[in-house]
Amino acid sequence: MKNARSVLAFAMAAAMALTATGCGSTATADSGAAESTATGEASAESTEATEASSSALNVMLETPVQSLDPQVATDGTSFEVIADYTDGLMQMDAKGAAVPACAESYEVSEDGKTYTFHIREDANWSNGDPVTANDFVFGWQRAVDPATASEYAYMLSDIGQVVNAAEIIAGEKDVSELGVKAVDDKTLEVQLNVPVSYFLSLMYFPTYYPVNQAFYESCGDTFATSPETVLSNGAFTLTSYEPAATAFTLVKNDSYYDADKVQLAGLNYQVIQDSQQALMSYQTGALDITLVNGEQVDQVKDDPAFDSRGAGYLWYISPNMGSVPELANVNLRLAMTFALDREAICNDVLKDGSAATFTAVPPQFATGPDGSDFSADQTKFADSCAYDPEKAASYYETAKQELGVDSFEFDMIVDSDDAPQKVAQVVKEQLETTLPGLTINLVVEPKKQRVEDMQNGNFELGLTRWGPDYADPMTYLGMWTTGNSNNYGLWSNADYDAVIDRCSTGDLCTDPEGRWSAMYDAEKIVMDEAVIFPLYTQCNAEMINPNVTGIEFHPVALNRVYKNAVKAG
Amino acid sequence: MAQAAVTRVKINALNDVAAVNAAFPEHTFTEKDFQLKANAGEIQIDTNFASQSFWKDVRVRFFRKKSAVFGLIMIVLITLMAIFGPGMNDYTYSGQELSQKNLAPRVPVIEQLGIFDGSETISTTTGSKTTNQYEEKGLDDVYYWFGSDNFGRDIWTRTWEGARVSLIIAVAAAIIDMAIGMSYGLISGYFGGRVDMIMQRFLEIANGIPRLVICTLLLLVLQPGILTIVFALMLTEWVGMSRIARAEMLKLKEQEFVLASRTLGAGSFFIIFREVLPNIIGPIITQVMFSIPTAIFTEAFLSFVGLGIPVPQCSLGSLINELYNSFTTHPYQIVPPIVVMVLLMLSFNLVADGLREALDPKMKSM
Amino acid sequence: MKKYILKRILTSLFTLLAILLVLFILMKLMPGSPFNDEKLNDDMRAALYAKYGLDQPVVVQFLKYVGGMLRGDLGVSYNISKNTPISQLIQTRLPISIQIGGMAVLLGAVVGLILGIIAALKRDTIWDTLATIISVIGVSVPSYVFALGLSYSFGFRLQWFPMLFTTTDITGSSVLPSISLSMFTMASIARFTRSEMLEVLDSDYMLLAESKGISGPALIFRHALRNALIPIITVLAPLIVDLMTGSLVVEKIFAIPGVGSLLVNAIQSNDYNVVISLSFIYSAMYIGIMLVVDILYGVIDPRIRLSKEGN
Repeated sequence: MKNARSVLAFAMAAAMALTATGCGSTATADSGAAESTATGEASAESTEATEASSSALNVMLETPVQSLDPQVATDGTSFEVIADYTDGLMQMDAKGAAVPACAESYEVSEDGKTYTFHIREDANWSNGDPVTANDFVFGWQRAVDPATASEYAYMLSDIGQVVNAAEIIAGEKDVSELGVKAVDDKTLEVQLNVPVSYFLSLMYFPTYYPVNQAFYESCGDTFATSPETVLSNGAFTLTSYEPAATAFTLVKNDSYYDADKVQLAGLNYQVIQDSQQALMSYQTGALDITLVNGEQVDQVKDDPAFDSRGAGYLWYISPNMGSVPELANVNLRLAMTFALDREAICNDVLKDGSAATFTAVPPQFATGPDGSDFSADQTKFADSCAYDPEKAASYYETAKQELGVDSFEFDMIVDSDDAPQKVAQVVKEQLETTLPGLTINLVVEPKKQRVEDMQNGNFELGLTRWGPDYADPMTYLGMWTTGNSNNYGLWSNADYDAVIDRCSTGDLCTDPEGRWSAMYDAEKIVMDEAVIFPLYTQCNAEMINPNVTGIEFHPVALNRVYKNAVKAG
Repeated sequence: MAQAAVTRVKINALNDVAAVNAAFPEHTFTEKDFQLKANAGEIQIDTNFASQSFWKDVRVRFFRKKSAVFGLIMIVLITLMAIFGPGMNDYTYSGQELSQKNLAPRVPVIEQLGIFDGSETISTTTGSKTTNQYEEKGLDDVYYWFGSDNFGRDIWTRTWEGARVSLIIAVAAAIIDMAIGMSYGLISGYFGGRVDMIMQRFLEIANGIPRLVICTLLLLVLQPGILTIVFALMLTEWVGMSRIARAEMLKLKEQEFVLASRTLGAGSFFIIFREVLPNIIGPIITQVMFSIPTAIFTEAFLSFVGLGIPVPQCSLGSLINELYNSFTTHPYQIVPPIVVMVLLMLSFNLVADGLREALDPKMKSM
Repeated sequence: MKKYILKRILTSLFTLLAILLVLFILMKLMPGSPFNDEKLNDDMRAALYAKYGLDQPVVVQFLKYVGGMLRGDLGVSYNISKNTPISQLIQTRLPISIQIGGMAVLLGAVVGLILGIIAALKRDTIWDTLATIISVIGVSVPSYVFALGLSYSFGFRLQWFPMLFTTTDITGSSVLPSISLSMFTMASIARFTRSEMLEVLDSDYMLLAESKGISGPALIFRHALRNALIPIITVLAPLIVDLMTGSLVVEKIFAIPGVGSLLVNAIQSNDYNVVISLSFIYSAMYIGIMLVVDILYGVIDPRIRLSKEGN
């Protein structure tokens, strides 16, 4: 066996050598040159990787990192990696609550509009510079600077309500007028327009991370595109990375203030898009943690290493009430939502642990003033959202009479990814069987296109998802206000707008309990009118090496945190 | 010069003696000159070495080649199955039965032999286990001949339905390709010079852009479906056909029969489509047969990228792509569409090979 | 001959420029925008368009792009790897694709030639049938099925080779992807070699060579193969480009950071600059190889050389 391997490898090596020369004669000259440089780089990297892999954690990623720039990144993968080597003012504890990180302590003013953070004396960047309040000011100013054009700039304006953020984004004021200032090197003061109850939990969101200005300016345009152009102030440092790389590594940061508690030698990331390959790699021991596709669950469901964890996303169907007259009929919408068997979708098709959801705000991410989960009770809207073919049929009859037609035909736009296509096929079947005369045509599009079509109102039904940006129900409820760009269905309800207004910027800002119950009321309006048909809350089925403990999973912002992870043996 | 003069005189009918006499004053014709000579008795037909028509020759040569005949039979069989297969049981290609998902193949009668009895062995991360879902769920009278998929749909029905869609797409694309590519190549080759130069530059540009970019764009702009896919395949596949047609045209256009036709006053398009085309039909048909499997492949690739036929419809390519995810869990699921696809590709390739040899007279002596 | 080559090079450059323009127009026709996260609103999108100059007329964008290209600047990625210069992306990825593709071409061409020659020489024997079966299977089975099968058997069950591409063992981890990629080339070359060889073996000059007493390997390689090689190169050339520019399928299965998956991802996320740059490189390679083949033709086949010099 060994022999066969080496013989073949030798043959391939010979073939390679030939290729290099062969290329020179047929292909263009610079492709040959490029090849030799690549081999050089690769061998340099290989030595680094072998040193790091001893008790490092091998992690599978589904998609490559899109950006390491904390103010530019928008996707969960990038956030996870950025957070591996960068600490914000606050971090998440195992339960998802905000606890101090770079900030040693903080004070909130009486009116809830001024936050003062005191930064740790021993927080340092990996180039030796101390982490200062100015680093945060610079990072935040970058986030709202129109020149950066950060996609998550609204985290500071609409959501964080930092003074002048909205005006700066709109180009009306200069970045220096942002409501954040460095009182001294280690004291940061933030001014808010209105009290924001979840403001501390925003501090672990990467858009709010610090950037060392002097270092940033020394990198020029190449900031955050290689290990040399990023600085670490977190538990790990990036040692090898190429843009959109399929494999990259981080090692433990010994100068981290909390370095004693970090037990891993490092992290080796591997991007694998094919889930079967990922599972096989896990079985050979090359991976410690990997995602499992619904199809493979039959193979692993008896394995103690198999578990599924909330990924936060709520998947739902959005009917276009603005431009499709039939869908503007509330009875037809209710008929459709009652015809959906969400349990079957989760248990028979997805099989990855995703939870059937009957509320507009998914469970397990927003905790109220009394410590309870906002959507723990999934039966609270049983009158307007459940699986009940009889109710569906009776609403359907009413709708048919009101509209004066017997049959309906709708196009449903769906992402071209695996899971949405699976779900859409079941939804089609369920709706068509329970509501005779209804025809659903599936239109499969790449995600970007689907989102654009929905934002332009160019759809009839759309299967879409929304992930929470911060641990508050408003991240969902804010979507359905009149004129919001994510209110795809163009629904409009003055009562609803009024309630949301009171909760986000009005009198309820300072009254947590009152705000909480007002948000229930708002959610009830959405459900009673069937503005969306919630389907399920996405979970990720994962295999985790039993020797590994202490990885923290969160549905919001940072999906996986490795700071406290331990790999035994 | 004399010939040119002749063609200019208008002669209404062949036996219009007066008109012919007027046109050729130097000769005098009589009625008799325009009648066929009855010489049937004088003509000798060689019955020992009867001359055979070209197509009869081709047919004989083709059927002498066993692999080609095998290919042809397989194509006919698969086509028949694609037409009648989905109707052979009560399942529909899109009908789901979630309680009967991922059932292993089970065929009546054969199940007595201990194979295709609905039991399967799953290799899990904690060891392999053998189960029979039919028995566990009490489905005594349920038979899925090829098993059922992740949604409880019958793989037999879906495989043949997929074969049907793939065949329609591939054959339609190949025929349209042929029409466009052939005309383009023939015209470009015949006129030569500047026309050829411009047409070939255009072709080079069209061919230089990666196919995927063109296909994706088309599938995004137009409503996805069989027609769009045929259109996308057509736009990317005609280049090869036009090359062959042009090369053949360059070879033939200097030959005597073309020259003769031209001197007789035939127009360019008459020469291209009536004189040259019948002579290059051999290579063209061969190329069509080769382009069918290419079209099936390209369609499968588009499915892989997520731009294939919209669900829940299926083609062989989209089936393979869909069932591929169950390869390590329920390997039986992906086998039928792959086998049908491989057989189909194989058959078209074999038939194309056979045709090429049968049509190419140079191969005759071998 | 020199004049001919010069003319060919000039027309190729013109064609490339035309392709670039067409690509620009195609990108404009592409529905959707590169900035299309659910979380963006119109104002933010307008800001992003302004930042990257996408709000200017196509002609201006095109001229700017050509200008930048002449200075070696291909623009930045909008989406796949935000704000990363495309040249950096290509520098890290293209060599990997070229290497794996090159190995596949070599493997495919060599094995294909051997199979084809055997089949032609031993026509209608069991060897011929065997070679034909192998080559027909090669063109009939999709490469991802090969890839998964190889990976499952040699990577997972037997563990002879790494299942995934790693930079620590480039040679070893390129073996399986190269084999799966080479199957189609191998099969096409084998089929083509067979039919070309048959034609050549039957020609008059082979008869002449044989009657002159040349036999054995000299006859096959010096006389037969050399003449069969011309059409084979024509078939091989576009295959080389296809393989060197990466295959999405194989890259996805073996987690190879190549350009094939980059292009597909870029198309699906409307990352205009990446699509244009990669397509342009593809076109340049394609047209470059076609040019080389055309010129090689002249070198190998005196008839073509003479006829072209006549022009």
